[in-house]
Amino acid sequence: MTPTQIEAYVDAAAAAVQLPLSPGHRPGVLQYVALAARMAALVAAQPLGIEDDPAEAFVPVSPASTHPSSA
Amino acid sequence: MNAEALLLGDAAGMAAAVRDGRASAGALVEASLSRIAATDPRVNAFTDVVAERARHTAAGLDQRLADGDAPARALPLLGVPFAVKNLFDVAGLTTLAGSKIERGKPQASHDAPLVARLQAAGAVLVGALNMDEYAYGFTTENTHEGPTRNPHDLALVAGGSSGGSGAAVAAGQVPVTLGSDTNGSIRVPASLCGIFGLKPTYGRLPRNGTYPFVASLDHLGPFARSARDLALVYDALQGFDRHDPACLQRPDDPTAGLLARGIDGLRIATLDGYFADNAGPEARAAVAKVATALGVGRSVQLPEVARARAAAFLISNAEGGALHLPDLRTRAADFEPLSRDRFLAGALLPAAWIQQARRVRRWFALRAAELFQEVDVLLAPATPCPATPIGSEWIEINGQRLPTRANMGVLTQPISCIGLPVCAVPVWGCHPALPIGVQVIAAPWREDLTLRVAYFLEQRGVVSAPVAPL
Repeated sequence: MTPTQIEAYVDAAAAAVQLPLSPGHRPGVLQYVALAARMAALVAAQPLGIEDDPAEAFVPVSPASTHPSSA
Repeated sequence: MNAEALLLGDAAGMAAAVRDGRASAGALVEASLSRIAATDPRVNAFTDVVAERARHTAAGLDQRLADGDAPARALPLLGVPFAVKNLFDVAGLTTLAGSKIERGKPQASHDAPLVARLQAAGAVLVGALNMDEYAYGFTTENTHEGPTRNPHDLALVAGGSSGGSGAAVAAGQVPVTLGSDTNGSIRVPASLCGIFGLKPTYGRLPRNGTYPFVASLDHLGPFARSARDLALVYDALQGFDRHDPACLQRPDDPTAGLLARGIDGLRIATLDGYFADNAGPEARAAVAKVATALGVGRSVQLPEVARARAAAFLISNAEGGALHLPDLRTRAADFEPLSRDRFLAGALLPAAWIQQARRVRRWFALRAAELFQEVDVLLAPATPCPATPIGSEWIEINGQRLPTRANMGVLTQPISCIGLPVCAVPVWGCHPALPIGVQVIAAPWREDLTLRVAYFLEQRGVVSAPVAPL
């Protein structure tokens, strides 16, 4: 992402999640989104197949396990 | 030996002294409280001291012993003072997580499970410890509480985010602390403060009752001044708790009884490539010293480590930002200035970046699992360099000028990304005055191997954790 693209993205994303950015914070936010974009480019360049699952294992919760004394 | 002298030894020695009547739990607590009072104005490890609670708990233990209570006498951490990073719930204290924002929130009604487990093992809580705000940092330069100072040189950082936990042990205030590690927050302060730290396998210890940072990556674990203490504490901490959805239901794997098995038959190798490229001369010398002592001549590589580090960075940034989004919307100015803009940025990242990071994480975990078919233990530096001055913005590693605060975790982050157990061991002599840590890494659920190697090195004098001469 170019600096101009990052500025446009940050302003649009901040509006989308209703996150006001004060003028004092915005330069730092731009810098860190740019850093994240470089990290994202690194992970994007890793070849992955459809079998490469993110391995997020959600565990369904049974009624008994919501009781505080059921540890 | 009096309680003041015992306090500067190991926890196992303290418990033995209380068990056989050479010291009381009350005397050990008083020694700890006195040392905190004498040294913490300089170190700034503690944010709360629970003196009344500690005296009451110790008196209860001493009374049980006086009554001939055999189960009390057998407790593994009998009368041992300890303290916890202030993201652990402590009944009667507000859980600050290093923040200004949490101040004024209700006090915790119960201790976190791990605090309760240590107390059930006979240990006595004396206080809560400083940290980077919401655990997002590697230096514990906390603007609200002031920086925690490295006990071995008060002008230097203690590491972070569990900086208070590292400094309190190095300062001899307590022999044992608990901290958390998302990207290196146990191993970095252990390295910079010259003590032992254990980051167990992801999912091993329950995290409920602690303030989260990145649920996908958060681990809890202990600090100590000996491998034996680390094993005793870790054994007391083990056990399933269904209130942490990431905690896996597995049998406990006690380690303390295995320490003396030595290293015969263990296939050990150093991690080369990324881990050497991002390590300064002291860090590389520390790994070489440990490898020589273990008779290790083999080095191996993990593939695409920089991508794994990037994956951990993105997942942390996005989950942390999303967790704090309500406060970021309404009171961003109250956040730690050193991490606020990172949290704000993290709340804005595209989902596709994060999902790709999660898939790379899994890919990297599979590659590590393949490597662990050939080796049992891997060695890598814990930090690129020893402790840096408080306020330092830049470090130079192998000719590269890098931001200090982000890069102290560059060697720990790829390992916690895939949840491997690691014992950080303290090495001296690679810098004129300062320690630096080495990561002893094993396959998932093999904390025992990391602790066996740590104990072997300690018995041969290769690693040690002396109390700082404050």
